[in-house]
Amino acid sequence: MADPSPETGLLDGYRPVDAFDEAFDADGSARHGYRHIVERFSGLDAAELKRLQRLVNEEFRRQGITFTVYSEEEGTERIWPMDLFPRLIAAAEWDELARGLSQRIEALNLFLADVYVGGGEALSDGVVPRWLVVSSGGFERNAMGIRMPHGTHCCIAGIDVVRGADGRYRVLEDNLRNPSGISYVVENRAAMAKVCNWLFYDHPVEPANHYGQMLRSTLESMAPAAADAPQVVVLTPGIFNSAYFEHAFLARSMGVELVEGRDLVVDGHRVYARTIEGLVEVNVIYRRIDDDFLDPVSFRADSTLGVPGLLGALRAGTVTVCNALGNGVADDKAVYPYVPDLIRYYLGVEPIIDNVATYRMWDLDHRRQALSRLDELVVKPVGASGGYGVLIGPHATADELEEAKAKIEAEPREWIVQELVALSTLPSFAEERLEPRHLDLRPFVLTGAQTQVFPGGLTRVAMRRGSLIVNSSQGGGSKDTWVLKPELAAVGHAEGELR
Amino acid sequence: MRLDIKYRIHFRYSEAVTESQNEVRVRPRDDDRQRLLSFLLTPRPAVAVLHAVDYWGTAVSHIGVRTAHDELELVAEASVVTAARADPADAAPMEALASDAFRSEHFEMLAPSQHVQPSAAVVQRAEAAVSGATSVTGAVAAVVDEARRVLDYSPGSTDIGVSLDELVAGGVGVCQDFAHLTIGMLRSVQIPARYVSGYLFAADETESSDSLVEGGGPVSVQTHAWVEAAVPGSGWWALDPTNGGPVGERHVVIGCGRDYRDVSPVRGAFMGAATAEVDAEVVIGERIGQQRPATVAAAAPVAAPADAGWHYQQGQQQQ
Repeated sequence: MADPSPETGLLDGYRPVDAFDEAFDADGSARHGYRHIVERFSGLDAAELKRLQRLVNEEFRRQGITFTVYSEEEGTERIWPMDLFPRLIAAAEWDELARGLSQRIEALNLFLADVYVGGGEALSDGVVPRWLVVSSGGFERNAMGIRMPHGTHCCIAGIDVVRGADGRYRVLEDNLRNPSGISYVVENRAAMAKVCNWLFYDHPVEPANHYGQMLRSTLESMAPAAADAPQVVVLTPGIFNSAYFEHAFLARSMGVELVEGRDLVVDGHRVYARTIEGLVEVNVIYRRIDDDFLDPVSFRADSTLGVPGLLGALRAGTVTVCNALGNGVADDKAVYPYVPDLIRYYLGVEPIIDNVATYRMWDLDHRRQALSRLDELVVKPVGASGGYGVLIGPHATADELEEAKAKIEAEPREWIVQELVALSTLPSFAEERLEPRHLDLRPFVLTGAQTQVFPGGLTRVAMRRGSLIVNSSQGGGSKDTWVLKPELAAVGHAEGELR
Repeated sequence: MRLDIKYRIHFRYSEAVTESQNEVRVRPRDDDRQRLLSFLLTPRPAVAVLHAVDYWGTAVSHIGVRTAHDELELVAEASVVTAARADPADAAPMEALASDAFRSEHFEMLAPSQHVQPSAAVVQRAEAAVSGATSVTGAVAAVVDEARRVLDYSPGSTDIGVSLDELVAGGVGVCQDFAHLTIGMLRSVQIPARYVSGYLFAADETESSDSLVEGGGPVSVQTHAWVEAAVPGSGWWALDPTNGGPVGERHVVIGCGRDYRDVSPVRGAFMGAATAEVDAEVVIGERIGQQRPATVAAAAPVAAPADAGWHYQQGQQQQ
């Protein structure tokens, strides 16, 4: 660590809390990959860091990079929060993480294809209980029999991973329907490069500006076989959706049309987009609308967002909808505990990345064990996302714990309980100094004919001291995530310091 | 028994509509008990029909019209040969219902569904009805009797979406209501039960035969609905709570599901500032014998007059 003067040192007195710190080891010295970053930040004072932070905020404000917080009735737009101290991932570490994520998505795609077109062999063989699948809110009966090109039901996945006190990555949850956040990954990097370009001088960092190309080629590979020059569109619920900014970003970065349901028509079981040149056939729809709203004829009749007749076109095989209908059955938190077994079942290998230890509340033994020490564990509703409804045992009152127990006993299918993971930390700017704050990581995995992991992902950080809730809807921030190129890793290995 | 069926659904719009998209389930099932000899679905205006099979194994046809039209007619013509059904042989004990394997296998037909949400009162009613039953078949029969005690058949007496409690309070219903109430009570006592949609060749003694053509010839009825209950060791047992009698050669199955929602004959949406009226007729005739179609036309507006946007339409209730 550099030698900052006592008055201004932003990292003075930095003490990792009871967790794995990504930048500093237990005795307080900077981990190898972080050496240059720590030096750079030690050379700054609070006023300078605040100035840079303002520049970034201004950049986001100017470009309208916001997110929506829902409170009471109305949604409130907030400027996207990014902390300037970046997260670094060494090449070898990333390589293993990416292999683990690819393996997981491969198994989950095999599971989805099995459930919807393969006759449910994993269910017959008892790997996942059949009743659990058919009782899942994400199980979509209208998806039955709809074949996906390459057997790929999940083209775009966001897998949330965390590092516990032992420094190992574990999967916290899978997002296989409409994972959001990739636009922030790209915009974070653009803002960092603009405001803090000097930070990059010491590091060969994998670029993060090519998501649009990667996504477009992935989606084009999902077109029905008959399509020569596949037409791809992004289908959004519209400007009032909290992720509209991202939908527009995706269409723009791919160079394809952003459409709403009313811009598409179904004729002769084919889908067309209304354009100024007339109707143009659409081959691939990257939809950011939930299953229930896709087609008012076959799903919710009160939906005005979708495209009447779309299910008929899907059954005719003239168009591909990505992600596929019904993926919610595989990212149901009640199915999550079975994913390591699904990897073993379909791929015949051990999982590279483990799950967080999870108790299944519908299993009597699991339930007894978990309820006896609920004050040390984390309670999660299987159907919610965004951190809503999560109860962290050690932070809960006795009344809250009793209430949780009663809810679990009443509806065991609706709950899982997990071991508390002391999420890893990184220095983050708080008031006048850098302090450890907990974080997770959502890498994005794209699958068409093959699987690719976009370098890095969205690092979310809990900006309140001690908080383990990183969701931006609950006061979380973000960090630019750097995957270092192999050159540096080679040096790192030579020095024996990189994990 | 060889049966020829002609089923006609007719939507008439108050103004021309520019588009309509529909999902239609009118094709008789083809299986061991019921052989489908021929099937033809003809839409007017003439458009291509896409045939597929849904999750429940029911044939589903997608029909979309994208030219201005003020009426939409769907004519289904089918010939089937039906066979008699055997009643469940074994009187399975009530305890057999508690087996984990049995419950897991029939999970979807034990859980509440959109139109079958048994209240505490319905559960109590069902439990009381089966309190004397010593076998599953006995319990099923007791539940059917109870449904028939609660409800009187009355065409057009209810709307789609009526709750089980409202049915009990009202005391009247159509075949769909008989089916939903029976299914709700069966599931309340842990007997898996499913909704069957089909056609009924009504002989002249049933309550639903008020439209009977005199002379013992063909009759005209709406599409019909009945139920099936899972009996451990025997499989699905079909019963017709509306008529009280057995399900036999004159019942032609289209398909089954958790309730009406899974097998409704037509669901669709049209685009335009119009209201829709629907009428439907079924003509079922034995192959031998003259077909004398008669119409049961119950016109029902199915969408409020409103803006020029999409409006939901569906066929009538199953009577």
